[in-house]
Amino acid sequence: MTADTISAIIVSGVVLGSLYALMASGLSLVWTTLGIFNFAHGALMTLGAYLAWTMSDAAGLGLGLAAGIAVAVAVLIGVGIVMERSVVRPFYDHRDILLITVMTTLATMTLIEKGIQLVWGARLKQLAPIAPGKVEIFRTTISAQELLIVIVAPLLLGALWLFLRNTRIGRGIRAVGQNSAAARLIGIDVSRLFIVTFALSAVLAGLTGILLGSVRLLTPSFGTDPLVKALIIVIFGGLGSLSGTILAAYVMGIVEAALTYFVGIYWTPSIIFVLLIVVLLLRPQGLLGKVVR
Amino acid sequence: MSTDANALSVTGLRAGYDASDVLTGIDLHVGAKERVGLFGPNGHGKTTLLNAISHVIWPRAGEIRFLGETLQGLSPQKIVERGLIHVAQANWLFPDMEIGETLELAAYTRHARGVLKDNLAYVMQLFPRLAERRRQQCKTLSGGERQMLSIGVGLMCAPRMLMLDEPTLGLSPKLKDELAEAIAEISARGIPLLLVEQDIVFTLSLVERMYLVDHGEVTREIHRGSEVDHQDIMDMYFGAEKTR
Repeated sequence: MTADTISAIIVSGVVLGSLYALMASGLSLVWTTLGIFNFAHGALMTLGAYLAWTMSDAAGLGLGLAAGIAVAVAVLIGVGIVMERSVVRPFYDHRDILLITVMTTLATMTLIEKGIQLVWGARLKQLAPIAPGKVEIFRTTISAQELLIVIVAPLLLGALWLFLRNTRIGRGIRAVGQNSAAARLIGIDVSRLFIVTFALSAVLAGLTGILLGSVRLLTPSFGTDPLVKALIIVIFGGLGSLSGTILAAYVMGIVEAALTYFVGIYWTPSIIFVLLIVVLLLRPQGLLGKVVR
Repeated sequence: MSTDANALSVTGLRAGYDASDVLTGIDLHVGAKERVGLFGPNGHGKTTLLNAISHVIWPRAGEIRFLGETLQGLSPQKIVERGLIHVAQANWLFPDMEIGETLELAAYTRHARGVLKDNLAYVMQLFPRLAERRRQQCKTLSGGERQMLSIGVGLMCAPRMLMLDEPTLGLSPKLKDELAEAIAEISARGIPLLLVEQDIVFTLSLVERMYLVDHGEVTREIHRGSEVDHQDIMDMYFGAEKTR
């Protein structure tokens, strides 16, 4: 194995890992705070990408990507709030909230995907890359857009981390996720923070969609694959830990890049699932997860 | 504002879970600077009572007035904003948060944030052990430290009254003494207290008055200094022999 091979694997692994970290962080945030999985997370990515496309593309309004990002963020905040209120909130006191919200968020996913198909049609679209061209890193060539993703992902995740760690609302969100009863007793409005969390996660999904939409082709079901990847990564990283999710994303990216190189794209997904099962057999709590008391 | 001079007054309070009432009509009051104990066998509604007062569960009937004003219809966070702070039993708080972070977060309401610095200094002085462990996560604390943190968190909420639910549960006698001292010191600042306890000696050392709660009702009121003989205590632990 040459140095070039190793660097090719690591570079494409880090690119993949950055994407996975972005995809999974919003999902993980909602899981650690509200204790539910949002199966519409991928559809929210799709929505963000399509909104940005309409605002920025010449075939749309042609207002530039900044406008696209702004509109996508604003709309996704709204969608996140509406989603929390309509398909999650009614079930907070329900014993089977986890299963019920699997159904309601799956339904929302279908609704958003079909809505996108109605509005934008099924024809493939692609966002113009923010950074065009190619760059060479460690003698491996990747697109400038991929490099941008590698840089933006840690920045976004770092900003999320700082927010959760240092702001009153962010700490409140962590507190609610760790012990909502105790949070209520210090005067935290738990349901308000649930809304904030959901909206934040929707925005993360939208931004991920925008970044992803210029390296992959946009279709109404564009979010399905990222959703599955994100679910796997959140479980792999250990439920209930955002740092575990992020670590798992990068590990998964590099493992996938290595497998793709050595065994090819055909067997890689199967082998990844086998590896996932082995990890969960050895560490049922995931990579950084805690043993449930 | 009414002329009610009590910090807290509860009349005819009924509350419970699911179909049945755990509290079947509770009457009690806590005076402006008073320390009052709640004592009674497990499962007879003491924790339920505190939960109902702080609206963690919704009262089904009766009235709760705090500093002369009714708490009717207020959300738990509004009650915290009023300054009625409930320190829950065996509270694990936020396992992955650091002690310092937890205490700062506990000053969550606008008023509490305004006095954060003073209160933090006070908590650190009251519980030096927490000061030493500021960067440690809550889950790493021992039982006694966790109780200290729970009370510290209550103090950070800028309380005008504290309700403590079994602050000495499972602690060694030495730690109990330490906590009793801290609680007495808090109360000496003029903060009224409602203290739920299993340890009657501990309770009597701290409070001026004590209610015995049995089967969801207040069945007795004991004043400090009044004779409490061995039989009374036995009655309180094991239930009085009465014909039902």
